[in-house]
Amino acid sequence: MQLLDTATPKPPTDGLGAAHRAAPPKNGRWRRLVAGRLSYLYLAPLMVLLLLFVVYPIFGSLAYTFYRWNGIGSPGDFVGLDNFRQIAHDSIFWRAVSHTFVYSIVVVPVQLAIALVLALVLNDRKLRFSAFYRTLFFLPVVTSPAVVGVVVQLMLSNFGDTLNGWLLDAHLIGRPVDWLGNPRIALGIIIVVGIWQTLGYNLVYFLAGLQTIPEEVYEAAKIDGAGHVRTFVNITVPLLRPVGLMIVILAFIGSFQVFDLVQVLTGGGPYFGTEVVNTYIYHLAFGGNQAAATEPNVGLASAASFFYGLLLIGFSVLQVLIFRSLAKRRAAGRA
Amino acid sequence: MSPLSRRGFLAASAAGGTALATALSGCSSSSSTPPGTTTIKHWDWYVSQEPWLKNEIQLFQKAHPKIRIKRTVQVSDRYPDLINLAFRGGEAPDMLMIPSSPKFEEQVADGWLRPLDGFATPQWRGRFPAGNFFNGVDMVENKVYSAPFGGNAPWLQLYIHNGLFKQAGITNPDGSARLPRTWDDVTAAAEAITSKSGGRSYGLGFGNVPNVSLPWWVELFVRGAGSPAGYGVDGLDYRVGKWTFGSDRNYADFLELLLEWKKKGYIYPSSMSIGDEQARAFFERGKFGMIVGGVWNQTTWTQHHFTDYSLTTLPSPTATPKAFFYYPPGGRVWALSQHSKVSDAAWQWFDWLHGPAAGQRWVEAGQGLSIFPEANQRARINSQAFRAFVDLRKYAMPWPVPAIRNPDVSKVVVPAVTPDLPDVLTGLYTGQLKDMGAALSDLEDRRNKALADGVKEARAKGAKVSLSDWVFTDWDPTRPYQNKPA
Repeated sequence: MQLLDTATPKPPTDGLGAAHRAAPPKNGRWRRLVAGRLSYLYLAPLMVLLLLFVVYPIFGSLAYTFYRWNGIGSPGDFVGLDNFRQIAHDSIFWRAVSHTFVYSIVVVPVQLAIALVLALVLNDRKLRFSAFYRTLFFLPVVTSPAVVGVVVQLMLSNFGDTLNGWLLDAHLIGRPVDWLGNPRIALGIIIVVGIWQTLGYNLVYFLAGLQTIPEEVYEAAKIDGAGHVRTFVNITVPLLRPVGLMIVILAFIGSFQVFDLVQVLTGGGPYFGTEVVNTYIYHLAFGGNQAAATEPNVGLASAASFFYGLLLIGFSVLQVLIFRSLAKRRAAGRA
Repeated sequence: MSPLSRRGFLAASAAGGTALATALSGCSSSSSTPPGTTTIKHWDWYVSQEPWLKNEIQLFQKAHPKIRIKRTVQVSDRYPDLINLAFRGGEAPDMLMIPSSPKFEEQVADGWLRPLDGFATPQWRGRFPAGNFFNGVDMVENKVYSAPFGGNAPWLQLYIHNGLFKQAGITNPDGSARLPRTWDDVTAAAEAITSKSGGRSYGLGFGNVPNVSLPWWVELFVRGAGSPAGYGVDGLDYRVGKWTFGSDRNYADFLELLLEWKKKGYIYPSSMSIGDEQARAFFERGKFGMIVGGVWNQTTWTQHHFTDYSLTTLPSPTATPKAFFYYPPGGRVWALSQHSKVSDAAWQWFDWLHGPAAGQRWVEAGQGLSIFPEANQRARINSQAFRAFVDLRKYAMPWPVPAIRNPDVSKVVVPAVTPDLPDVLTGLYTGQLKDMGAALSDLEDRRNKALADGVKEARAKGAKVSLSDWVFTDWDPTRPYQNKPA
């Protein structure tokens, strides 16, 4: 008996009582909820907006993917998986995907390299007026891409001739260039403007990351005789890596969503030469970008959105797996 | 000075917000409307036609002091979406320009448009020339939903810059600029302007953003060569009931000529980077000597006091055009909303715009022709260029309308094809499409298949239609066609 008594669990000593012990998960969750109620209250508005404007439309539009529907009245023309089949076989969609990837693959590395260099310069405490430069580089970010697009379009259409004249005089080109009428040049212009327009974001992220690196580490490196390059390679890069990975992921996500700049500058043309996935979806949903109004197809646009969403999820998973594998390899190398 | 507390700041902000809202509402038109006044919500996409419309609103309000018109100008290329959203959101205007999409019949079926039978009595309809109310045009199932407004003339013209023509020596014996009549004339003029300007000007130019102007060039030139469908979005070649982009030689012939002009440097190099408005401005400044456009060009140039231009239409391989511009009898521009709570007042505004007096002012303002022949008197027109436009009326005539012969044709929805003609033209011009014959034949096949698919689907839903409904073997494109209702 004595033995049994000894084996009997002791009453809790944390003051929560037996009832708490009897159903720990439920009450534990409830207690945590109550304890963090203020946090949940603050989170609630954003969650409601997220549910309303992100989650609901995603699942709401899923139903439309099975219909051919011009957006008027209720969808009634059920086509099953035909919309997905049509998207998968549409060469224009795949061209749009390839343009989006080309845009991202060029914009992200170039922009991040420039942003990192500028961040290193601006992080130098000896630099005077650094706040001014920071503001200057961040200014394009707060300018609407649509406005930037209109301005660039007007500049090229009004001063394209003058620019052509200079280039012809300098014998850099043999004949005048149609800046937005040549698909390769137009995509290049979109990429350059895209790099310039969103550079400020990454610059600020890198600056924030650089400022988390303790000054003592640099001082220690200096005492050990490390030069600028060595310090950058062996101190800045490793300590910036966690922030850097996040910046890379965000930069790719942002560049995959490019839309307004392309829509305003070229409308995806000429002949789909600069069409990106978001302008493709927009043209499907709102009836094309041509002289004649074409019938919109919300069902097809929804299917394209879903299809592209799946591609992006696949890409994101791949990105995470690559980063994890690199981290593991590094850890193994250190061991 | 005491610092502002958070509560104080919030209270002040709320008070300020209320005051601002009150002030703003004081600025709205509704508060300035006298009691007992009916306000009509009116939507359109008129920009160059705006002076005429504003004048009509003023005159109408003066004649009807108890009615106010609240006009909203919408962006033309997004107008169908905006109207759709307005109807879905219960905010539809009382009077609207009929959007190009969805189909007119679908707008009626969805309950957007109000039948005008209570207003548009036979006596009212009698004010228009005979033969202007047809199912599939301004009527649906024998009910009137709209009415004809404009008169018909070639909707595209070739404008030439007199100054550049004279500088290049392309003149008549009297020293005036010599209008090109043939494709060769256009080529020769383009060559002369480009070579004699020393690189300052080009022979030809357009603004193809977004995919607008190249189809106009094709339409203007192939019609002259004898292809009655032209650019073919609204109609096909009704002699055979098909689109013929690949099988009709005129399309490839003209496109080869266009590419030749480009190769020789006769075309303004930034034509694919600019819009039509910019192209018009560059033409005015003498950047290029020829541009294709509509009568709307004249309004802008008149506003800028630019008059040194002339116009013609249908340049053709020989001096005589073999096909013309065509239009359906009747017409539709405006309609009333089914949901309007002020239909009587809206009808008065509709009636005003469709009256001979408004039509007369439309012509006098140089906006276009009126449906009323008496309004189109040449003597009443001041502008020489607009008189030249009016003189081109002989090149426009009625053509077959399948929906008049078989109203069930209206139930056929022809799916859009992508890439369509404007895209293919851009692809060929920019060199992204190399094989012209293959691209045009592929487009022809896809368009014809889309029509066949549309017919098949409509038949499955009970419509009595067949592809032969689009065939009019009795149509001679050089003569006006007499449509006969079923």
